[in-house]
Amino acid sequence: MEKSTIVCRCEEINIEEIELAIKNGARTFDDIKRLTRCGMGPCQAKICMNPVREIIATYTNTPLEDIPPPRLRMPAIPVRLGALANGVEDFKESSIASVFGESVEDGDEQNDESV
Amino acid sequence: MEADVLIVGAGPAGISAALTAEKFGAKVILIDESFSPGGQLRQQTQYFSNLPTGYAPDIGLKVIETLIKHLYASSVQVYTNHTMIGAYKNGMIGVTDGNKTFPILARANILAPGAQEEAKIFPGWTLPGVMTAGAAQILINRESVLPGKRAVMIGTNNFAFTVAKQLHDCGVTIEAFIEEKSQITCSDGILRDELKHVPVWTESTVQIAQGTGQVERVSVHTPEGRKEIDVDLICISNGFTPILEPFVIMDCELTYKKHLGGWVPLYNEKLQTTNPSCFIAGNAAGITDLGPILLTGEIAAISALEEIGILNSEEAEIERRKRWLELEKLENTAVCQARKNLIASSRSRQSPLTKSK
Ligand SMILES: Cc1cc2nc3c(=O)[nH]c(=O)nc-3n(C[C@H](O)[C@H](O)[C@H](O)COP(=O)(O)OP(=O)(O)OC[C@H]3O[C@@H](n4cnc5c(N)ncnc54)[C@H](O)[C@@H]3O)c2cc1C
Repeated sequence: MEKSTIVCRCEEINIEEIELAIKNGARTFDDIKRLTRCGMGPCQAKICMNPVREIIATYTNTPLEDIPPPRLRMPAIPVRLGALANGVEDFKESSIASVFGESVEDGDEQNDESV
Repeated sequence: MEADVLIVGAGPAGISAALTAEKFGAKVILIDESFSPGGQLRQQTQYFSNLPTGYAPDIGLKVIETLIKHLYASSVQVYTNHTMIGAYKNGMIGVTDGNKTFPILARANILAPGAQEEAKIFPGWTLPGVMTAGAAQILINRESVLPGKRAVMIGTNNFAFTVAKQLHDCGVTIEAFIEEKSQITCSDGILRDELKHVPVWTESTVQIAQGTGQVERVSVHTPEGRKEIDVDLICISNGFTPILEPFVIMDCELTYKKHLGGWVPLYNEKLQTTNPSCFIAGNAAGITDLGPILLTGEIAAISALEEIGILNSEEAEIERRKRWLELEKLENTAVCQARKNLIASSRSRQSPLTKSK
């Protein structure tokens, strides 16, 4: 297929850019996401999840089932910051588990410590 | 907000779960991100005869209409325009209505977000006029909008034929089916027969879709060479895959099962995920036929009520068995086998699934 074909329409990432990321060592969707922003737009990889996995599978000669989906993060859909913040006052007893804490690789540990 | 059971997703699976949990005496909250309950059944005009006892065979639209009527006549609290977007540290599900974000405290959750359609990429797939078969189906059956006049359908599975037939009945000319494999995959002989005037190009792939501002032409690579036709609609029917976000957010483990749509949350025979407070139902579990989808809702509800002590284990086991037996009679064999494999793999696994009780 033509290398200029768009794969992630939200961030306008094409096959060539994804293959370049793989050439540079990317092996998972998350690797490609970090290198290219692929899957980081409004749809949050809902559309490109499997096309990207298929490109990785073909390029690295790996069975499709060995390529995990990207980390699906909160919030699951785009939410206005106002809506996200609105209500925080009423629910002091609990904090949102991981929106900000997991921005680094060892995010889960960080979460446990935060708030 | 507080309930015994919170159900996310008011499609056929979620509504069936809600009505079952309510019938056994639970306080139930049912949320859906859409403005109306009913899920993907709201645009299905085809006839369903393969339904569980208690359901009258009818077209999808009518089946869901009846369920929604029962839902609003019940004590289930229904919140439309409410989306699950995350989780709080203490395990409560976080929901937004677009103005504020808040937790819903439930003793058990049933996640029934359904499935989404698989994309397919080729040069030009982002042009207006290229859409999934499901999108075209929503336009004609729910919105009364004709998405085009001359179409090709990529894929020959049952859903491709279902939608092609519905488009045809609306006056859309289906120019061809384009199939990568060497033969048609649709198993419904009647449907195939109704569309036998439409050419099927097997071992063929779309080379490029072109047009100014919207799709006007498609070139297809076929064994007889390149074919080019003028179309203003390209539908893609490339299968469904479970919606995973709510499960990943709740830390449920995933597993890969091709016949269940790819990555799917791991669950046991109680339809309990690896997070003991979360149960699964419907197409999110890779179950594709309507009859079985409705039954998974009932099974998940029974198991959730067992988990929180509203039903005792013996009662729950009897009710569950009854429904699994019925489900197996209605289920497609490939899906049934894949589901059994998945449940078997959950059994052999050292996990909170078995540690929970
Ligand atoms: C576009 C499309 C068309 C389809 N057409 C057919 C067809 O013609 N024939 C057929 O047999 N099957 C079809 N299917 C398959 C379909 O999945 C099943 O027929 C059936 O509707 C599945 O029932 P369900 O209750 O599991 O999920 P759904 O009917 O998909 O219902 C899930 C509900 O969950 C809600 N939801 C999802 N995520 C969240 C969240 N985070 N928060 C709150 N609510 C949420 C959704 O709004 C939706 O109402 C189609 C699927 C799709 C996606």
